[in-house]
Amino acid sequence: MGALVTLNIVLPWIAALIIYLAKKDVVTNVLTFLMLPLLSIIAYLAYIQPHPVLIETPKWVDLLITVYDFGLLAYFFYQGIVRKNSLIAILASIQLIFLVIVLLMMNHSLTPNLYIDDVTLMFYLIVAIVGVPIAIFATKYMDYGEKGKHSFVAIVVWFLGVMNFAVSVNNIEWFFALFETTTLASYIMIGFRGDKEAVNNSNLALWMNQIGGIAILLALMVFIKINGVYHFTDLLKNPSLISMAALGFLSLSALVKGAQMPFHKWLLGAMVAPTPVSAILHSATMVKIAPYLILRISPIIKGTLLAKLLIITTGYVFVVAAVIALSQDNFKKILAYSTISLLGLMMLGAAVGTPVAVTASLVLIIFHAFAKGFLFVEAGVLEKVFHVKYINQMRRLIERAPLTLMFIFFGFLNMTFVPFGTFIGKWMMIEEVSNFLQHGSYILLIIYVGAGSAFLSILYMKVLGISVRKAHGIEKINFVKLPATFNFVSVWYYVWLLSMTIFIAPFIADFVVPIAASIAGQADIYATGLTLHMYDSTLYFWQILGALILIFLIHALPYFVKFKADVVHPYNCGEVFPRHMETWNFECIARYEGYFVAFSIALFIMVVVLGGGLL
Amino acid sequence: MINVILTVLAPLIGGVVYGIERVVKARMQKRVGPPLLQPFYDFFKLMDKRPIMIHSLHALMGIMYFIAEWFALAVLLLGNDLLIAVFFHVIAVLALVIGASSVRSPYSVLGALRELMHMISYEPLMVLMVVALYLVVGSFDIRDVLNYEGYPILEIPLVFFAFLLTIPMMLQKSPFDVAEAHQEIIGGPEIEYSGPFYEALYTGKWIEYIYVFTFVFLFGGSHYWLGILLVVLAFLFINLLDNSSARLDFRTMVKFAWSVLIPMAALNVILLALWQ
Repeated sequence: MGALVTLNIVLPWIAALIIYLAKKDVVTNVLTFLMLPLLSIIAYLAYIQPHPVLIETPKWVDLLITVYDFGLLAYFFYQGIVRKNSLIAILASIQLIFLVIVLLMMNHSLTPNLYIDDVTLMFYLIVAIVGVPIAIFATKYMDYGEKGKHSFVAIVVWFLGVMNFAVSVNNIEWFFALFETTTLASYIMIGFRGDKEAVNNSNLALWMNQIGGIAILLALMVFIKINGVYHFTDLLKNPSLISMAALGFLSLSALVKGAQMPFHKWLLGAMVAPTPVSAILHSATMVKIAPYLILRISPIIKGTLLAKLLIITTGYVFVVAAVIALSQDNFKKILAYSTISLLGLMMLGAAVGTPVAVTASLVLIIFHAFAKGFLFVEAGVLEKVFHVKYINQMRRLIERAPLTLMFIFFGFLNMTFVPFGTFIGKWMMIEEVSNFLQHGSYILLIIYVGAGSAFLSILYMKVLGISVRKAHGIEKINFVKLPATFNFVSVWYYVWLLSMTIFIAPFIADFVVPIAASIAGQADIYATGLTLHMYDSTLYFWQILGALILIFLIHALPYFVKFKADVVHPYNCGEVFPRHMETWNFECIARYEGYFVAFSIALFIMVVVLGGGLL
Repeated sequence: MINVILTVLAPLIGGVVYGIERVVKARMQKRVGPPLLQPFYDFFKLMDKRPIMIHSLHALMGIMYFIAEWFALAVLLLGNDLLIAVFFHVIAVLALVIGASSVRSPYSVLGALRELMHMISYEPLMVLMVVALYLVVGSFDIRDVLNYEGYPILEIPLVFFAFLLTIPMMLQKSPFDVAEAHQEIIGGPEIEYSGPFYEALYTGKWIEYIYVFTFVFLFGGSHYWLGILLVVLAFLFINLLDNSSARLDFRTMVKFAWSVLIPMAALNVILLALWQ
């Protein structure tokens, strides 16, 4: 097991180094492509090993990480000076001071520093299956008039290794180091193009994420001071004694990393970078650390005031981010808001903490990773091949980019509709929460989930509506030949999503439920054949299949069905119809954005102050 | 058994219901009204017309709307989970909206966008209603609801009332018929359909009647007479409201749903949960 874990972590780092140094097309392409089978197989081999296991690490690694920590923070400080951004410099220096304090307080612990359990292994699989194709996609994407292809691909691959490391650590101080490394990686990637906007947005990402780093250090201090422990496994040993304040700080860092309002701006800023950056940040890595962190502490916070406040906050973000997304006109921004929204739902599930809710959260994490990776890859194709960035440029995509539109359509459907994973997640959440409605926060949750999914659905329908519009006769469907790399990545995701959805019942019952069981206990979910049962409720296979066929017909059939009927122009009540048509931009909602954010700040403070029990 | 029959014959029964509705409406206005089977005469006439379409996608979506609506009803009646049935209904809306926005016709596109406003008005409330039924009965299974000994309507009257006022949004009745708005945007999503393709859409709407009134029926629990009574009363009430009220702005509809109906239903749910 130790060797497999090391391989999982180190292999991407080595590959990234080689790609960076070689700077040759052949090396980059071949090595990136090789990572897909290699990492998948290693992740799978690790998954079938007995787990959970704690892995001892040599002493020098500990030392190395501490030195690395200081180096990293010094680098941030240096960047703050170079970029003349005092906020970054100040936050970095605060972290430096706190880190010194933490190191002074820390006493030696015998607990091993690596902890590999089901959640970790699940993330290995996600990183391998969802993350690597994005790197493959990047190898072609960067050929379209972008500079620094090799270093870019190297960073993407390296990021995968960082993510693998981050989910394997047990020591919270190490976790801090990895947390900051993902911050570093996103900082470099967002600022990759080097223009003014990129620099500004990377600064934003840096200082916002550093707040998360400070929160982790504060949590560490409190843990060490009050409980004398600083390992995740030690926290879980006697949950009742753990300081709520420290958990509050940890949740705070999760909220920052997960781009929850009011810290959502950094993730939106990531869209100025090349599209693979967004793909990697949103799907397999980076923001997924947030639900991961909540899942780690979910058995401890379950049922506490902190959990309830987290439910209210993240649920609020789930709805409001979906609402704000309605008023956006940039395709990548829309996707970013929907990520923020769904991240809220994932954390919400983890905060509820019952077996079924945790299962729902995991299902959302998995399916969201696939669907978002898919959608961003398609956004990259749209951007580079069809030069489409805004939704009002998406007109007549059905003729111009039929395949890409079909993939986007499918990705969108995956985000809200029956019978896909995200729907199953919501369904589980609502049915689970219906059991403890005595608490106001849970009834609020049901309204949140109902409303949020309705808002997300109308958002996707609005965007799709624009891209299929045509005055009459969709005839000139132009199947543009796309590069093989793009097709491979698209089809890869498409096939995965489709097959996971068909086999969703056994997938959830045999793969996700055991993972949830390791966190929160056995959920009452099982599968008979391809039918999914939860408590007394059943999602029959004929329903899954029926919905899948309906959805399949709706999203793919327009290209194949040609009715033999006379084609006419729109009747439009005999009136002249305009050359151009706009869609509602929901300007009325944009006006309230300030209020939404202000309220989210209030909730945020509530989480820290009340949830942490500081008062 | 009856649910299978209801599912299979849904278009026929829906047509009859629609016929009754037209007669009832006419009588309310002191008119004689069309014969009971008028919807079916319309059906034959429309099927006989020359098929005309804007493009295949548009026509196809009309048919998909009909199929998805029927399937949602099948899930409701033959499945065992009400919540899933609620979410299945969204697929029908998807087909309708994609179809309506696929033509460059202002009325159609406007209708599609308004249809979305309809959805955010009634969708959360449907979820709340199902949860309220769960709270009463202790199961999401439609069979358990229909075997429930008590009277759900007495335990969740506010939810029922909220749902009653949501029905006009779902069935496109005044004062909430903003998406269709015949005098204003000439039918909205359905304006560009004609002949057999319009018939598909038209029949889909009949099925929606069955879908909606099944939910009303559930409030009677195992007392089927009460369920039928509620359905009849709801039917009469909706038509009375339709006849006697003017159309509201879509903003008013969304505001009304969000500031009156949803809080009302949520209050009922909380009170019931506390009382239990």
